[in-house]
This record gives sequence, structure tokens and C-alpha cells, in this order.
Amino acid sequence: MDTVSFGHSAVGRVLVMGLALVFAAPPLSARAFAAGNTSARGDAIAPVEDFSRELDKLKNSFGELGKKMDDSAKAIDGYTDVEKTRKEIEDLRGAVSGLLDAVTDNGALATLGDKALTRARDKLKELEQDTRFKPEEKNFLIEQWRKLRDDTERANQELGSARSRFAELLRTLQANEDFIDELVQIRQAQKVIDVIHQLTRDIRGASDQLQHLIGGIKPPGA
Amino acid sequence: MDARRLPFCALWIAMLAACTPKDVGFVEIKTFPVATPATMLYLDSVKLEPLKSGSAVLRQQVGTAKLAVEAGGGQMALLCDIVVRKNRITTVTISLLERPPRCQCRNTAVVEPPAVRSCIG
Repeated sequence: MDTVSFGHSAVGRVLVMGLALVFAAPPLSARAFAAGNTSARGDAIAPVEDFSRELDKLKNSFGELGKKMDDSAKAIDGYTDVEKTRKEIEDLRGAVSGLLDAVTDNGALATLGDKALTRARDKLKELEQDTRFKPEEKNFLIEQWRKLRDDTERANQELGSARSRFAELLRTLQANEDFIDELVQIRQAQKVIDVIHQLTRDIRGASDQLQHLIGGIKPPGA
Repeated sequence: MDARRLPFCALWIAMLAACTPKDVGFVEIKTFPVATPATMLYLDSVKLEPLKSGSAVLRQQVGTAKLAVEAGGGQMALLCDIVVRKNRITTVTISLLERPPRCQCRNTAVVEPPAVRSCIG
């Protein structure tokens, strides 16, 4: 079965860039402090850091899900009991739902991603018009933010592709579960037919016995 | 148990119940052709963000949600009902080629009496 992979490289890059900017901050902080702008600097990187942190958490969940899927696929192959198989698919559906929940368009992670991207784009616009820094410092900052923006965009795209794959996976599981449900219904319908056959046989037996009994009745003097 | 504590216990239980996450499912909305940002969609009266590349996967509480589009003059036109089931995804494609736009369900729910189109996962 396919396991869901997530772009480690882009996530890693976002983190590295985030850290690079954090470490790049001290020499600049004095100037920023002088400008009375320390909180603004903290706020600038916060959305990107939040996004990276949440992506890391999600990445760990993906690993766990991959293992669970492999185990479940093996288990399902071995089952002949439809109820057990159905239960297994239901559990798997619950696990996939949990992850899809994390990456939905109206979920926390997508919101964080959008926020981080907006922040990076705004910051770039601001820096391009900023006159506080020397040209080489300004170029350095712009370059860093540009990389950060590109990486965030890539991470968001990967989030989107993970979303599509989870949605597809969930649909497949639903279809399988529905198919199993149909099989259960066929089996139940077959049981009903067996019961009817048995009942018919019993009635026919009783009827034969009755016929035999009636046939055995002889009127007096016959 | 002390009878005076009963109301507090009841309140505590009610608060706990309120904090328990509700059952959720998912709605996948696709538009054909890809919707422009001018197309305003609403799910249960909540305005949706413009769909990225004409598609979105949204978490939604279990139940029946109403999908609507903003027609001219700020009027809302109901497109279809979407039945959301726990841990399941309901997919609907909105055909914007038709006037008014129309829902195309991957699976259609049978509802009696048949009123508006109803999609199910």
C-alpha cells in the first residue's frame, strides 16, 4: 500500500531558514531596538516558526500512519471474517480522518501556512522600501526572506498534495467499506433464503405426513 | 453525595460534554471550470475562502449542510444539501457552466420527498 510521504526537505529548509534568521537577529537587534521595533521583529518570524513546528508534528503522525496502514493491509489480507475486516477498515478510516483533519483547507495548519506566507510576502514588500539598512544588509535580509517565502510556498503546496492524497485514501477506504457492507447484506439475504428453503422443506414434510395420515384413514367397513 | 453539590456536578458534566470534540466529517468541493475569486460559496451560511485551484477539502460537523452560492444582488441560491458522516468524505462538483450553477454529487442520497439534490459520502 502507498504510504504518504511529506516533503522533508522543504520543511527542513523552512526550519533552517527560520533559525538562520533568528541567529541573524542579534547584530541587527541593537538597531532595531534603537528604532523601538523589537516586538515587531519577534512577530515577523513567529508565524513561520509556528507553521514549521506544526508541520513537524504532522510529519511524525505521517510516519505512524504509514506503519499502521502496512499492518492493517496485511491484517485485512488475512481476514475472512467480514466483521473483523470492516472493523479494521473503520479504524483505518478513523486514523486517516485524523490526519486529513489536520490538513484541511479550514484547519489550523493550512491557516498557519497562509498566515506565514502572507507574513513573508508582506515582509519582503516592507524591506524593499526600507531605508534603515545598508544596501548589503538590505540585500541579505531580502534574500533570506525571499528564500523563506519560496520554502513556505513549497511547504504549502506539499500540504495541498498531502490533502489530496488523504482525501483520495479516505474515499478508497469508504468504497471498500461500502463494498464489504454490500457483501454482508448479500450474506444476510442468502441466510434469509436458506431459512425460507428450510421452512419450505419442513412444510412439505408436514404436508406429506398429513397426506399419509389422511391416506391411512379408512372409513368403517371399507 | 451532598445534595448541595449536585447542581455543581451537573454543571461540571455539562461543561465536560460541551468540551468534548463533536464528530466531524469532510466535504470536498470542486468547481468546474475553476472558480474565480468572484464566485462566493457558502457552506451552512459560512462564507468559504476562495478555492485554491478550484478545489477545497473542509472539515465539517456531522449532519446535513447546505451549499449555496451568492447570486446577483447579494441573494443566496441554494445549490444542494451535503450529508456529512463521521470520518467520511462527501465530494461534490459544482458545474459553473450551467445557469444557475449545479451540484454534481459523486454519490447522491435518496431523500423523501425529493426536494433539493442531496450529496452523500
